[in-house]
Amino acid sequence: MSAAGVLVVGYGNPLRSDDGIGWYAAGLLATDPRLAGAQVLTHHQLAPELAEDISRASLVVLVDAAADGDPGSVSVRQIEPRPATPTWSHRLDPETLAGLAEALYGTVPPIVLVSVAAGSFAEGDGLSSPLRQVLPEVVEVVTGVVGGQRRT
Amino acid sequence: MAREIVIDPVTRIEGHAKITIQLDDDGQVADARFHVTQFRGFERICQGRPVHELPSLMARICGICPVSHLIASAKACDEILAVEPPPTGADLRRVLNLAQVVQSHALSFFHLSSPDLLFGFDAEAGGRHLFGVLGANPQLARDGVGLRRFGQQVIESIGGKRIHPAGVVPGGMTAPLAPETRDQILAGLPEALAATRRALDWYASAVRRYEEEATRFGAFPSAFMGLVGPDGTVEHYDGALRVVGDDGAVLAERADPRPYWEYLGEAVEPWSYLKSAYWKDLGYPDGVYRVGPLARLNVADKLGTPRADEELERFRGRLGRTPASSFHYHEARLIEILSCLERLEALLSDPEILSPRVRSMAGINREEGIGVAEAPRGTLLHHYRVDGDGIVQWANLVIATGHNNLAMNKSVAQVARHYVKAEKLTEPMLNRVEAVIRCYDPCLSCSTHAVGQMPLHLQLLAPDGSVLDECMR
Repeated sequence: MSAAGVLVVGYGNPLRSDDGIGWYAAGLLATDPRLAGAQVLTHHQLAPELAEDISRASLVVLVDAAADGDPGSVSVRQIEPRPATPTWSHRLDPETLAGLAEALYGTVPPIVLVSVAAGSFAEGDGLSSPLRQVLPEVVEVVTGVVGGQRRT
Repeated sequence: MAREIVIDPVTRIEGHAKITIQLDDDGQVADARFHVTQFRGFERICQGRPVHELPSLMARICGICPVSHLIASAKACDEILAVEPPPTGADLRRVLNLAQVVQSHALSFFHLSSPDLLFGFDAEAGGRHLFGVLGANPQLARDGVGLRRFGQQVIESIGGKRIHPAGVVPGGMTAPLAPETRDQILAGLPEALAATRRALDWYASAVRRYEEEATRFGAFPSAFMGLVGPDGTVEHYDGALRVVGDDGAVLAERADPRPYWEYLGEAVEPWSYLKSAYWKDLGYPDGVYRVGPLARLNVADKLGTPRADEELERFRGRLGRTPASSFHYHEARLIEILSCLERLEALLSDPEILSPRVRSMAGINREEGIGVAEAPRGTLLHHYRVDGDGIVQWANLVIATGHNNLAMNKSVAQVARHYVKAEKLTEPMLNRVEAVIRCYDPCLSCSTHAVGQMPLHLQLLAPDGSVLDECMR
């Protein structure tokens, strides 16, 4: 089954330990046969230039670390576009990016944010133990979101 | 009673800075200063590192213009290795540099400055941002986002990453260009060219309202400096350093920048971490010169690409051979985007761009190297000394914003003298003082990559430090 049209964006700072969870997940998802045809990107942060990619996609899944929650806990949230606000420079939160995509290009697909509570944002290029353990689950959650969306 | 106004931090620029405006006893602006309040340490950080590391290390100086540091650094390393990159290696570096000029100029013009140009300096601060532009002129906002995206994608497709890319190394490039990457970039060029054309047309009508204002917006005679090719065409990667006076007459042209310390001085002031470069013949602080897009247009005979040269002709026809107002940096930026896109098209249409020979290999053959290139904001110079094993002993960087420091200070003072009235601080008054700095698109991140949502805090202080007036945003 093809995941063409699906955009997965893992974002964060991979040199800040668990903040790189999106990158690690993206690395696995890029070669996952269940996401064949999907576009998988990694970014340090959400920037305005992503708006066009988002507007062209049929489904967007964002994977990011969260500062709150028990380390390793995974949550899934639907993103609703938020009207553009001036409080940004180079980076955006998911809602504002969705709002920008809608305002610039007139359309925005369903956007889902998969958040993984981090245990450490210390300098370092590896994941903490709880996040290493939960990484396979994150991959399953993302593929589940994509699969579920395709069925609806 | 003498008083002082402080704008801290300055907003919609790359990095942290503040402005102080000194008032005299009559409440008139006596002087103004642009302070860079962040510290850069790269000239020391690199000491003790192997010279081969320097391009990627120096690229970390900045997240906006890493390619410029990558290239100037690699060129300095080429000298230490005593090698010349193969022609295709040099051309791939050119492609990266041109793409960076496009994305950086797009950030400056569309994201940071177009709100002022679209809404005017007197508009409510709450609406002066790209989202405001989006509401008033969606096509302009789309074109800004699209041009920046295009430039970043070119960098990413060749260097692997859009920020801090790799691929540029001493001796050339690590890998040749893949045909599909070349085709992908070429496919994006028509839309990028169309977006630039639309922006130029919009600017041509929008700028009319600022014609009078431009005459006191960093408008003063000064020298200009930039790289030119053998036929006087603008160069971003190589070429001779040319300096022209305010009348366009060539003051100096040096094929070898090596003895830059003989003609360029760097003064240090206790109130700023940014060094003030000056033209030694004129002394300090009179030796003001400007670099960057306006300077490149002023020093060169031509841009060397057909559509951009048509624009340059119109530009000079309207403003003269050597426009003196820094307000025109904005238009120069757009013209330069057009020129860079045309150059990209020419470079990538040459079959030789796919040549597999992109790197020359060598060991340490010299103990000193200097690399010069044109960064988006102006001439960038990296100078290293190494020991026999290639370990860096000493480094000096002269960055574009340092070349422009004296001019920025002069511009702030000029605008403040005209607009700032001490009786009541107003938003439009303060925005103009900041806006003249934005003309230069200073990259203060070239020290610490500082960026974010920066509030503006302005205080009017009495000599005893008490706050006479204050506003925040």
